[in-house]
Amino acid sequence: MTAELPGERPHAAAGGELAGLLAKVARGDETAFAGVYDHFAAVVYGLVRRVVRDPAQSEEVTQEVLLDVWRTASRFDPSEGSARSWLMTLAHRRAVDRVRSAQASAQREARAAVAAPDYDVVVEEVEARLDAQRVRRCLDSLTELQRESVTLAYYGGYTYREVAALLGVAVGTIKTRMRDGLIRLRDCLGTDS
Amino acid sequence: MRLRRTDPHTLAGAYALDALGEADRENFERHLLGCEACHAEAASLREAVGWLAEPTAAVPPPRLRGQVLAEASRTRQQPPPVRVTKRARRSWHGIGWRAPRLAVAIAGVGILLALALGTLLISTQHQLRVQEAHSGEIAAIMNAPDADIMTVRARPHGSATVVMSHTAHALVLTTARLPALPSTECYQVWLMGTHRVKSAGRLPPPKQGMTAPMIVAGLAAGDRMGVTVEPAAGAVSPSSPPVLMLALPAD
Repeated sequence: MTAELPGERPHAAAGGELAGLLAKVARGDETAFAGVYDHFAAVVYGLVRRVVRDPAQSEEVTQEVLLDVWRTASRFDPSEGSARSWLMTLAHRRAVDRVRSAQASAQREARAAVAAPDYDVVVEEVEARLDAQRVRRCLDSLTELQRESVTLAYYGGYTYREVAALLGVAVGTIKTRMRDGLIRLRDCLGTDS
Repeated sequence: MRLRRTDPHTLAGAYALDALGEADRENFERHLLGCEACHAEAASLREAVGWLAEPTAAVPPPRLRGQVLAEASRTRQQPPPVRVTKRARRSWHGIGWRAPRLAVAIAGVGILLALALGTLLISTQHQLRVQEAHSGEIAAIMNAPDADIMTVRARPHGSATVVMSHTAHALVLTTARLPALPSTECYQVWLMGTHRVKSAGRLPPPKQGMTAPMIVAGLAAGDRMGVTVEPAAGAVSPSSPPVLMLALPAD
């Protein structure tokens, strides 16, 4: 099965490639799985480390995510979204689950009290990749509150209620900023399908 | 279309960012099931969110590759979702009101298929987590040694199938071909005991006439399970005659 993703305009090559790999992975193709690893391990690991922070735990979570991909590749449904989105959703949820788990809760409260993850730090870690640059540029096009809401939630793994507390802004406002911020980001990235 | 701030729709951003707590997320996912536009929006926002990871990319320790590939090669993969044919679906309507326990094992395959059908037809990525969390509980109830299977007809048409475990004080409920409801109404499940009537939650919206397996927990001896039509937000007590009612076996 070659999964063509009509909605994927700017990144059709990479996205279509991943969908093709996933179809093979679903049939137990270990070489294809190695291909998924080679394409996505860095972006998964980087994201997980950003959210989880602890390197050892980040490795564990990265391994869990990639094994999830292996185990559940047959559940990927191209009509529901791109392969990339599917994979990154798995990764982010795993990372967020880890930081929100009961064991992490005490540490987490302390963390919330200290500084929020810094957008600039995120930016500094940027590889000189075109995609990364594009994402950065699009993040820059958001209003400050939109950007802070989105980055605290995504890179910090905070819930929107926690983001509201961190920023001292009403919960309803944060909700709305996250949504309109993402709409702007989506339009800027041209990923709408 | 402009939406009021109270509209759950506004949670689409927080949802796409995995920034909802457990309860908020479950509510929103329930909302998504009945709202095509919200589903589409959430999916499109998720596409954008997926790219946010790009700037954080960092090469993992090289040993991880070998570990992951080795672990994969000894890990069993999940089978793909399978659509069940009409014939297989019919087989579990014919199980009868209360099958003897021996029949549970025989009917098990049919029920599993039916449950899988209910689950998988609504299988979407945004629900992965809900399903993963529930599938363990569902399996536990269905595999309980004392599981009872019951099928009951609904009025004016449709049916419900229940797999109940006495020891777990819980049951798994699926329905088929209940009359479709307008978006302002829902089916609500009740446990009716001698001293109390307790809401067990709303049935998920049907996909192709079937509802996904729903767990009803906290059963007490002598309970009956009823399903009524209520306003979409749910009601605190039943306000209409039940479309189906099932006396749960007490032993």
